[in-house]
Amino acid sequence: MTSRGMEHALDRLRADLREWLAVNAPQDWRDAATHEAFVAGQRDWFAKLVGAGYAIPHWPREWPGGGRSLAEQKVIYEELAKADSPRLLLSFVSTYHAYATLMECGSPEQKARYLPAILEGETWCQGFSEPGAGSDLAAIKTKAERRGDVYVVNGQKVWSTMAQYADMCLLLVRTSNEGAKQAGMTYLLMDMKSPGVSVRPIRQIQGDEEFAEIFLDDVEIPVSQLVGSEGGGWEVAQATLASERGLTLMELSYRMRGALARIAEEIRQAGLVADAGILRDFGRLSTRIDAVCALADRFLEKRMAGDEQVGDASIVKLAYSRALRDYADLGTRIAGLAAQYRRPITFGDLNSGNWLADFMNSYAWTIAGGSDEIQRNIIAERMLGMPREPKGWKLEQGA
Amino acid sequence: MSTMRQELEASARKVFPDWQSAADGDQAWATMAELGWFMAGVPEDQGGLGLGQADLAAIWWELGRALVPGAAVAQIAAIEALASCPAFDGRDALLEAAMAGDPVALSLDPQATHSAVPSADQARHLLVCAPGKLTLVPLEGAALTHAETWDTSRRLFDVAGTNEAQAIILATGAEADRIAARVRGLICMGLAGDALGGAAALLDMCIAYLGTRRQFDRPVAMFQALKHRVADLKCALDTAEAFYREVAASETRDLARIGAMKAHCCEVYKAVAEEAVQFHGGNGLTQEYPVHLFLKRAFLNRALGGSTDFWTEQAGRAALA
Repeated sequence: MTSRGMEHALDRLRADLREWLAVNAPQDWRDAATHEAFVAGQRDWFAKLVGAGYAIPHWPREWPGGGRSLAEQKVIYEELAKADSPRLLLSFVSTYHAYATLMECGSPEQKARYLPAILEGETWCQGFSEPGAGSDLAAIKTKAERRGDVYVVNGQKVWSTMAQYADMCLLLVRTSNEGAKQAGMTYLLMDMKSPGVSVRPIRQIQGDEEFAEIFLDDVEIPVSQLVGSEGGGWEVAQATLASERGLTLMELSYRMRGALARIAEEIRQAGLVADAGILRDFGRLSTRIDAVCALADRFLEKRMAGDEQVGDASIVKLAYSRALRDYADLGTRIAGLAAQYRRPITFGDLNSGNWLADFMNSYAWTIAGGSDEIQRNIIAERMLGMPREPKGWKLEQGA
Repeated sequence: MSTMRQELEASARKVFPDWQSAADGDQAWATMAELGWFMAGVPEDQGGLGLGQADLAAIWWELGRALVPGAAVAQIAAIEALASCPAFDGRDALLEAAMAGDPVALSLDPQATHSAVPSADQARHLLVCAPGKLTLVPLEGAALTHAETWDTSRRLFDVAGTNEAQAIILATGAEADRIAARVRGLICMGLAGDALGGAAALLDMCIAYLGTRRQFDRPVAMFQALKHRVADLKCALDTAEAFYREVAASETRDLARIGAMKAHCCEVYKAVAEEAVQFHGGNGLTQEYPVHLFLKRAFLNRALGGSTDFWTEQAGRAALA
């Protein structure tokens, strides 16, 4: 297609989607009083998007609404953000992580069983992190022992997003302690209804329950649920982790820019529209958020052109997460004491205007998905070529 | 990346490979004239290269990267005014001479017209952007005072005793204000690009330096405390660059937006320069290493073209509207 033709097609997509969203975008999703109600809304919204062909633009063409270019995906997320529709949180791991893992490493049987079910609402969670293995993922200890046709799994997973609502789990386990830590890792697909699986939602700092712990007690997982080879789990996990970065951060940056209106409203309410100090702080923040949006756009452009470099994704995440913290901080400061009175939280909104709750919630982005510190390591070591720390430090040396 | 941008960058890096290569101001000025930088933004039918903001953005960047001395930002902004004002007697000759490197002076302080004028001693005219009136004032017989700055790469002058009766009026009323806004926008674009080019060069220098210094039997670059600070600066720099290039490519005339971008970029330069001195340890506070040159230019850039406080307040107002 010519570039003019392509632009025309993008404009068309945008216009169609806008029209559809005007009728279909949920308006009352912020009113959900409980997490359960929010999740029910998430299911409905996902089903609607599947039906209209906007839920899985990154899947291949043979799927309904699939086969969209990155430029088209960008349009879709821009419009979803502009329409202030709820973010797709419940289905996120399913349509990105599970999908990418199955597509790249799954067997034909696994693909046939699980991919269509995702569109019917089957949801996935990710069982990677453990109490002793967060930033250092290769340190996982959850053990799987092969006994005949099953793996018997024992251990504990943590920080698993919405695991309490998940049907299936992308589970990373240890099948060997020999050799490099990475070499003993294996990747399994686990049914969350298996005997021995128990899930405990984690009550977060601001009262939300977006994450959960998963306890695994002699859980039997059929060998047919193995993805890739035994001992090949680390490589499969890379496919999971690389599944998405750019679009979400662009969407979130745009949503944050739109939500500057909430701070503007606080400034008006506080009668500070002529306060030079406040105007400067607000101007500095809005300029910075403009810059973060430009960065997210540029990252996607680089991706589309095949120019993405190692570290680029880390820079976008770090820039966003720090701006998000400062967004909530400024709102908290301007709202003053009003921000200290407890109000019900809004599920699924990082820029809700419930300022102290937003501030506390912003840690999800500076810690989860590779903490700011890990992103800084990646930028410094892999992008800028600064030397890595020497390995081989042992616990007893630190005493 | 546009081919033009690549060409501009490649030719700049040939003639100004590093911060030392442009030290001779007269030579650097002649080189810039030869490269056609002064005519870059002028439409082709007026004898220029007809480049847009996105390509000019590459030039500003290179100026900062190599610490090119002199009044290039003022020159290019003044030329824009000469090219876009209504024709007057002798305009074409003035424009042609300016594009070839004949200096036209211009204040880099939006609050003033006759101070903070770089290289005024080399110019025959001063462009004066007063409200509702854009004039070209002859500098012959004027009293020029070199107001020495910590940064020595730009020589700023206070101008007094000009013969305003001899001034050529370039534009008046709304048209003068429109051109003046354009001039201010260009100055801000120039300072922003200069800031980021300088910051990028300086950060590279820091990374190389940290990699060569050894303490406690290891390169200091291995310490996470330093790596993370470098990573934060890199993050700030890439974010500012994306914004800078987006604003340039948008060809916006929104002065508040350009000014806010300038303030943002100059704060990033200042942050990189501030850390760069610390990264270089004792050597950072000597004149034997070039870090001080970047630090001084970073602070001057931040103060020129409208302060951070001025522009962020404007941005706050705009975001509130």
